[in-house]
Amino acid sequence: MAATITRPETDVSELEDLSYELREKLLLLCGEYDGSVHIGGDLSCADILTLLFQYGMHVDPQDLHNPERDRFVLSKGHAAVCMYITMAIRGFFDYREIVDTYGQLGSAYGMHPCKVQLPGVEVSTGSLGHGLPLATGMALHGKRSGMDHRVFTLMGDGETGEGSVWEAALAAHSNNLGNLVAFIDRNRQLMTSFSEERVKLEPYPDKWRAFGWNVIEVDGHDMAALVQAFDSLPAPDSDVPTVVICDTVKGKGVDFMERNLAWHAGSLNDTDLQRALASLAHGRKAA
Amino acid sequence: MSTAAKTGTEPGTDQITSFTFGELLSSRTVIGQTLKELGETHDNLWVLTPDIGATLVEFRDAYPDRFVDVGLSEQACVGIAAGLANEGNIPVVSGMLPFLSMRALEQVRSDICYPNLPVKIVGTHGGLVGNGGSTHYAVEDLGLMTSLVNMTVTSIGDPLMVGEVLRQSMSMTGPLYIRLAVGKKDKVVYEPGSVTVEIGKGITAREGTDLTLFAHGETVSQALDAADILGAEHGINARVVDMFTLKPIDEDLILRCAEETGRFVVVEDHLAYGGLASQMADVIADRGIRLDGFRRLGIPQVFAGFGEDTELRDKHGYGLQATVDAALAVTGGRPAESESTGDIA
Repeated sequence: MAATITRPETDVSELEDLSYELREKLLLLCGEYDGSVHIGGDLSCADILTLLFQYGMHVDPQDLHNPERDRFVLSKGHAAVCMYITMAIRGFFDYREIVDTYGQLGSAYGMHPCKVQLPGVEVSTGSLGHGLPLATGMALHGKRSGMDHRVFTLMGDGETGEGSVWEAALAAHSNNLGNLVAFIDRNRQLMTSFSEERVKLEPYPDKWRAFGWNVIEVDGHDMAALVQAFDSLPAPDSDVPTVVICDTVKGKGVDFMERNLAWHAGSLNDTDLQRALASLAHGRKAA
Repeated sequence: MSTAAKTGTEPGTDQITSFTFGELLSSRTVIGQTLKELGETHDNLWVLTPDIGATLVEFRDAYPDRFVDVGLSEQACVGIAAGLANEGNIPVVSGMLPFLSMRALEQVRSDICYPNLPVKIVGTHGGLVGNGGSTHYAVEDLGLMTSLVNMTVTSIGDPLMVGEVLRQSMSMTGPLYIRLAVGKKDKVVYEPGSVTVEIGKGITAREGTDLTLFAHGETVSQALDAADILGAEHGINARVVDMFTLKPIDEDLILRCAEETGRFVVVEDHLAYGGLASQMADVIADRGIRLDGFRRLGIPQVFAGFGEDTELRDKHGYGLQATVDAALAVTGGRPAESESTGDIA
């Protein structure tokens, strides 16, 4: 494993706390920001991003360009604010600055991440289906250079309707990229519909297996299971790319947003913010 | 570009430059040899292709760890190139331009141009060439590529220049598009060492005072032939400018040609609107240049059919005779009375 960057020693209950903190900070930002936030898809991937940034990945906020760092490509770029806040919790950015400047003229923090404006972000994304080809190129560099870091990407399940995803799936398999790991936020919702009603992705794991990928299926909101899945990843010098299909709920943690098409994106007035925070807190007690 | 160099004078190109002026040479061969040469001096140079790799064999065999053929996946090919560039590499994507410029357009724009990565896209089938039909003619590509922020756009006819531009591009920080015709048999337009090739600067291929013929790619040779006819048969002294860089366009040269020749004919193997003529018209309008005549020759709004390259150019009104006729029209069929008829506002 990467020698000069150590992973945080976070246990499952600490990770659950960090996930809660992430969701709470997301909602607070949503309450302060006048515009629309992709809150549904942020909440569905909050646990995955917590797993990666607070547990799994070898990254160092003080050493952004260390060649031995693990790389992360947010293919579902519309979840940028969730990534910013996770990264802020890890020490990359200042949460208050994100809240105070989000979406404003001159801010580095916008709806989709821009690496040029925000060092620490590996790749500028936003248009769906671009992350896996980009991550494939980055993993190809690592593989052919004999380096042992990993390249992670996070896709939404909806965006795997893009043909470019499957082009890259072919290329990653053909080039034996065992250092490439794709997490999929399988929340089963597109913007305007439930995916299996409009686009039948199932049998979804079989599709990835047919493309030659190692498939791990996991409950994307069960932190212990996510940690176990991460720990079971093949070594970076192995020859088969891995996809971790995370069964998730869009809007997870806020009862009136869960599996609700109205909450693909939105903003929160004071009343809704209090309702959302109360729901989040209630869910934590119940768990 | 900060570096200017003479064609064919770089070390390691002896084999290529043994070809002589006027001969036919394969641009693809030049690319293959140049990339192999550059692979030795640049250990971060990668070559990628979506299944168009015949002349990349030399690079592939010499540097298999830096060669990727993704098969028929243009979008992934460009995305992977961007990922490699993100890691500090210099990727060259080689393929057929109709597909790289359109099927992978968004990857070119968002994955390469947006973060301003040093990815080179070099390919063939620019214009009505190769008898492939409209699926295989890139006729919109220069319009698309010149629209992209950060993109440098070139179109090259002389095979030796292709190698030179590739060499110069190694020090570029942003993306580059290199357009070729078929790339199998290209005329060596310039005697090796006779012209200065510098990305961003047009090349005066032939001096002249009565009008300027602007061209790029294969139509440079056609413009030179037209200039010969104009001189021999009509006593008209036509200047020929090879505007091989469409973006950034050489505004100073346009200004100078306006001052010195006053009349322009632009001929290109691209849609007549959206290519070089449009780039030049923008400069002319923005700079308030007053000309005594301006004609653009290119592909009209049609999906062209099959035929030999020269036949298709004749059919669609931008062949050799059409070029001569346009020059006669803007000059009134006779030499200019004074050497300077242009008027710069």
